[in-house]
Amino acid sequence: MNLESMAWLVQWVSVDSPVLPGPWAMQWWLHLGWSVVLAWGFAALGQAWPPRVRWAGAGLVALWCWVPGLYSPTHWLGMAFQAPSISSVVLCAWLLRESLQPSRRVLLLPSSVDRSTLALAVLGSIAGWALLLDSFALLPMSLYAWGFSPIAPALVLLVAGLPWVLECRDGALDTKAWVAPVAVLVFVALRLPTGNAWDAVLDPWLWLLLQGYVVRAAFRRTSRLKSVH
Amino acid sequence: MNLKSLSWRLLCAVLAAGAVLGVDLAQRPLAPAAAGAVGPVVPPSFSVDHLVQAGRGAIPMPADAPAAHASTLLPMPASHPAALTVFWFSGERESGPNVQIAASQWDRATQQWAPARFVANRHVLGAVLGFGVRRLGNPVAWMDGSGRIHLFVVATGWGGWAASRILHLRQSSAGNGLQELAFAPVRVLPLSWLWNTSHLVRNAPLPLADGGMVLPVHFELGIKYPVALRFDSRGEFLGMARISRRHYALQPTLLAKTRTEWLALMRDARPDGKVIAARTQDGGRSWSDLPDLALVNPDSAVGGMALAPGHMLLAHNSSPASRAWLDLSRSADGVAWTPVHALEHGATDDDEFSYPAMAWADGSVWLSYTVDRQRLAWQRFSVDAAANAAAPNGVKP
Repeated sequence: MNLESMAWLVQWVSVDSPVLPGPWAMQWWLHLGWSVVLAWGFAALGQAWPPRVRWAGAGLVALWCWVPGLYSPTHWLGMAFQAPSISSVVLCAWLLRESLQPSRRVLLLPSSVDRSTLALAVLGSIAGWALLLDSFALLPMSLYAWGFSPIAPALVLLVAGLPWVLECRDGALDTKAWVAPVAVLVFVALRLPTGNAWDAVLDPWLWLLLQGYVVRAAFRRTSRLKSVH
Repeated sequence: MNLKSLSWRLLCAVLAAGAVLGVDLAQRPLAPAAAGAVGPVVPPSFSVDHLVQAGRGAIPMPADAPAAHASTLLPMPASHPAALTVFWFSGERESGPNVQIAASQWDRATQQWAPARFVANRHVLGAVLGFGVRRLGNPVAWMDGSGRIHLFVVATGWGGWAASRILHLRQSSAGNGLQELAFAPVRVLPLSWLWNTSHLVRNAPLPLADGGMVLPVHFELGIKYPVALRFDSRGEFLGMARISRRHYALQPTLLAKTRTEWLALMRDARPDGKVIAARTQDGGRSWSDLPDLALVNPDSAVGGMALAPGHMLLAHNSSPASRAWLDLSRSADGVAWTPVHALEHGATDDDEFSYPAMAWADGSVWLSYTVDRQRLAWQRFSVDAAANAAAPNGVKP
């Protein structure tokens, strides 16, 4: 490998020229992100209610998140957890859309487990553990800082796209498997929420949810195997 | 083309990843050159051995603010009416809801500190950020290449200091005179995946030759470790590097031995601790731990600076189990330190003189520090010209 190609490689993995979002974009995302997440939360809690009530309630909750100051949930959620990841917001937007359809009941942890979604959930869980250990400096390298490098979103997209590649013969791919690739594309365009690729594709709440998904799938698989034997 | 074939899909995925890489690279500036530190402009024959006390006193506090802590000193340009600006946090009590960032300036004409005023308020900052800031603390100031002051402050979310984030503020007023000084948030620095907790800032940045700086910070949620953050000449965040592998080192202060060889001296969170040291020889890209210094450290902040090659100063608490003694020591190599001035020696262990900050302005070394968490004191050390001229070990041109 000659020096010129090495220079390109160094630039790809460089963590010292990050592109961060501007203040207005971060504030806009903070409000948008929590409005989508909380609107989905409302719709999910009120699945027994008539669709019109769910629509109106979810809309009001979303608007409430845009109220400035102490009376907005964004004020308190942002104080505690900053902004949600793009993945969380895309996932909640899709779940919200599905749950607001008449006669549709969409569960966050559905009874049937899609193979590709499960594979991504396992990867996300592992990545979350690695990032948690990194937060406490328990890894030999700084994994979070690597999220500022140009190569990070490209590699995340490649990994997140593997279910699509491998499901070529089965045809249909679970919609949730598109969440991470969409998050990467939005991140590269807007650098939200922090300029770090990890913050775009995985936040601690989503990580906890993914672990619930994985544990539930493992439990169901174990139960099924036991019943077969 | 059959999009259902494995090879086609794999090719599409690789092309998409390549396109993302290309778009990402197109948005980025070129990576910065290797960092090189610059020191203050001191007289060519300067020696820390010939520093004599040229003044001391109290820094005026804001009205109705019985608590004060964690000061930082910012040298002002030679053309400015003030030689120094000092920032600290003040309010009813440490970590109280009404704590704000206060400031004062040393007026060159009157040779006095101006009456203090508040320059940053958590409610105002929260309104601009769009989310709440529970508490403010530990301001650290820096002036960028355009003469704008940047403040890095600890801003807590839910929880105490360990749930802190570092909030970057930039001067929003046209001028930087004390009466008009105002700040607006730039961003919370993105330093951790875990809801961006728990990084704190305490000590002054190390200026770089390119007009940027390296800001020493630390993580302190259970485990404590120090981190160096690099900024360009406009104050844009460029990256982060861990300073030490030790899990009890915090509040690093950076001293440049040469352009690229720097020391980080740190507070030790262990009982019976010593001042912890780490070193970089490549301008902060990589760091390695050094043996602890011989200086005791009662889990207390240290503040230091390198004034010239071989002339380093460190203000540190030298009493083993309290913050009652605050000393100024000098070193040629950053490893062996010799006390040169007793800054404060309290009568009892209940006295506290802590969180020293240091700066070079108007031909003097200035120090500020907290007294009993209630007020701030300052001391000034100037070079004894006669002794300095006669000394064989001064920094000769």
